[in-house]
Amino acid sequence: MAFLEWLQQQPYSVWMNESSSLWAFPMFLFMHTLGMSVVAGGSAAIDFAVLGLWPRGALKSLNNVFPVLMAGFALNAFTGVSIFMKDAATYGINIDLYVKLLFVLAGMALLVVIRRRVFDNPEIDTIPVSSGAKALAWASLACWTGAIVAGRLIAYVGPVPGL
Amino acid sequence: MSTTHLHLLLNHVPTVGFVMAIGLSIVAIIARSDLLKQVSLVAFVGIALVAIPTYVTGNAAAQKLCAAEPDEPCADPAISRPLIERHEGAAVLFLAVMLVTSGFAWIGLWQHRRMKQFPAWNLAIIAVLCVLSLGLAARAAAIGGEIRHPEIRAGEAPLAAEPTLARSIARYINNTPWTWISSETLHFVGLSLLVGIVLLIDLRALGVLRAVPFTALERLLPWAALGFAVNIVTGMLFFVARPDFYTENPAFYWKLLFVLLASANTLYFFFDEGWTTSPGSDVRLVTKVIAASALVLWVGVMYWGSMLPFIGNSF
Repeated sequence: MAFLEWLQQQPYSVWMNESSSLWAFPMFLFMHTLGMSVVAGGSAAIDFAVLGLWPRGALKSLNNVFPVLMAGFALNAFTGVSIFMKDAATYGINIDLYVKLLFVLAGMALLVVIRRRVFDNPEIDTIPVSSGAKALAWASLACWTGAIVAGRLIAYVGPVPGL
Repeated sequence: MSTTHLHLLLNHVPTVGFVMAIGLSIVAIIARSDLLKQVSLVAFVGIALVAIPTYVTGNAAAQKLCAAEPDEPCADPAISRPLIERHEGAAVLFLAVMLVTSGFAWIGLWQHRRMKQFPAWNLAIIAVLCVLSLGLAARAAAIGGEIRHPEIRAGEAPLAAEPTLARSIARYINNTPWTWISSETLHFVGLSLLVGIVLLIDLRALGVLRAVPFTALERLLPWAALGFAVNIVTGMLFFVARPDFYTENPAFYWKLLFVLLASANTLYFFFDEGWTTSPGSDVRLVTKVIAASALVLWVGVMYWGSMLPFIGNSF
């Protein structure tokens, strides 16, 4: 708790909390939404492709999308930590935030596993997608949905700092 | 130009414009022209999209015209709040059916590009929905006209307040907090679905995913459309529930403008020859510009959405 209080009193946190500038909290919240749409939406699109909504023999062509999704994740790690610092003592004891983080970490782990197991396989476009890979894609869809639901509920469940 | 002006201007699109679009579709069927059918379907989608700001500016106009607290009679005794609310109720029903019509029209356009023909079942559904939508538009327009033309209702007893569709929806959403929260959550799921797929398409056009075949992206389009539909529905639920959050909110009007521009961009891009580009090949410059502007516009929609509580007065 002492750490959370300390974190919240850092000049950066205070700026985020007290500045009335649109470049402070509002901009970070927007960037967080943008990053979410890239990571969650982009992952969902890859999951759809793995699940068969994609022509056979063309999965490899999606390989270049992974760095874009990683950039979205980096943006959200940065904006997420920044928003957390604004009200660290309150967010830090909100269980729902940790539920969301679990979903996000699981979603990112699944993204990496899907890339390694499916997209890094040199035979990807000559063999059918395995049922194991499809199960990973379903799990990924579930994790990102869970992350969005839990993320939205942070504002309503447990201690909330307000907008 | 005020929102009232805008409402009076825009309300011609879902009425007069709709009649013209239906006329065009009849010509298309008689002439057996697939091109004209496509144009008609695009027009139906466009009319549904314009119906959204028509509805929104209607609420803004009503607040100015009535100039009284909700549930109180209008400041000017010549203006009837029950009549305004009946117009609003008729309009929300029209908007809902028109949006469903445009959904089937979009499915028709998507099917046509994949199968090179329109399935008869879809055209039949669209025809029925068009007749229904037009009837509902006429009803909303007729009630709307009476608000400022008391001579039409001369001799009739003043209308009593009654629970209209729009106000009933609003009351339900405002009295059951989980509907607002779950709509918000769905709004975020919908935006992720839409933006995730738009991102893939635009990255393909811009050359980052040059190896991706456009035919593959085509199969993902219905999921982007589903995300868009979810967001239109949940977005309108917010508006119907709390118009006061939005009618004086500049960020909301910017968001609406960006939604319309992004939709127009998408409708145009739908017919771009870039879709016939073979995997690995570059698209022409115009297509790249359209793709880049689509990204800017959708990010803009998210920006104005995020700013609703900060620039304006939402929540």
